[in-house]
Amino acid sequence: MIESTEYHYKPHPEEQERATNSYLMSLVVVIFGMPLPIVNLLASVIYYLGNMKASSFVRWHCVQVMLTQLFLFFINSVGFIWLMFIIFGNWEFTNYFIAYVLILLAFNISELVGTILSVLIIKRGKHPKWWIFGDLTDIIMAEDEQEERVHG
Amino acid sequence: MDNQKIDMFLMTNAKYFESHRLPLIRERLLKMDDSKLLHIQTLNFKDPTMMLIVSLLAGTLGIDRFLIGDVGLGVAKLLTCGGLGIWAIVDWFLIMGATRDKNMEKLEIATASYSY
Repeated sequence: MIESTEYHYKPHPEEQERATNSYLMSLVVVIFGMPLPIVNLLASVIYYLGNMKASSFVRWHCVQVMLTQLFLFFINSVGFIWLMFIIFGNWEFTNYFIAYVLILLAFNISELVGTILSVLIIKRGKHPKWWIFGDLTDIIMAEDEQEERVHG
Repeated sequence: MDNQKIDMFLMTNAKYFESHRLPLIRERLLKMDDSKLLHIQTLNFKDPTMMLIVSLLAGTLGIDRFLIGDVGLGVAKLLTCGGLGIWAIVDWFLIMGATRDKNMEKLEIATASYSY
């Protein structure tokens, strides 16, 4: 699920700290964001905006966190809206809903485990790349990294 | 500027800056005249740990942002009650880095105006 790679330069301890904070922050916000899935996404966007001037390593991880939160936002929102219709609407509590909640839980738990693993990998000075999201982040950040490689 | 004085300055003030910026600071200070050291030493740097405590206690009122000099963001944070709490939480993780960045900006402005 997570590939431990090397970044094109060795990040400084402060950069590692900022990058791990982006993952840790998403863990803390989960507590506040439980009822509303958008809270996590907003928090990761705010964190990214706060680190706009940071190095490309920090921004890369902020973008990866944003993408994972965006994915979870859609999945959790559907579950949340479905639940609201069951509680306040006339929708029935079906096996499909139970199946969806199980899938939703599986994704959320994987994200939680992935977040903790990413923090540990960054602390070792490596560069964790998530399956699919890592490649997407690479595409988004390609121009940025190229510029940094040229200008230093 | 004298090497010993620079080392003393860096030893006393290292916690206010990011460690990878210390060689750059050293280089800047070396270019400066000895008589300007007093101006640099009297600069009031903000302690990142203190800012974290302020952020934890009064982050929803934007006081942490006011203290580091981000008045606009402070007002925005105050008016939105810390971005309904979300921004306040995110700032717990951002404020130490932001404080070090502000300290660096302050030192850069000072060294730019005093060096020749």
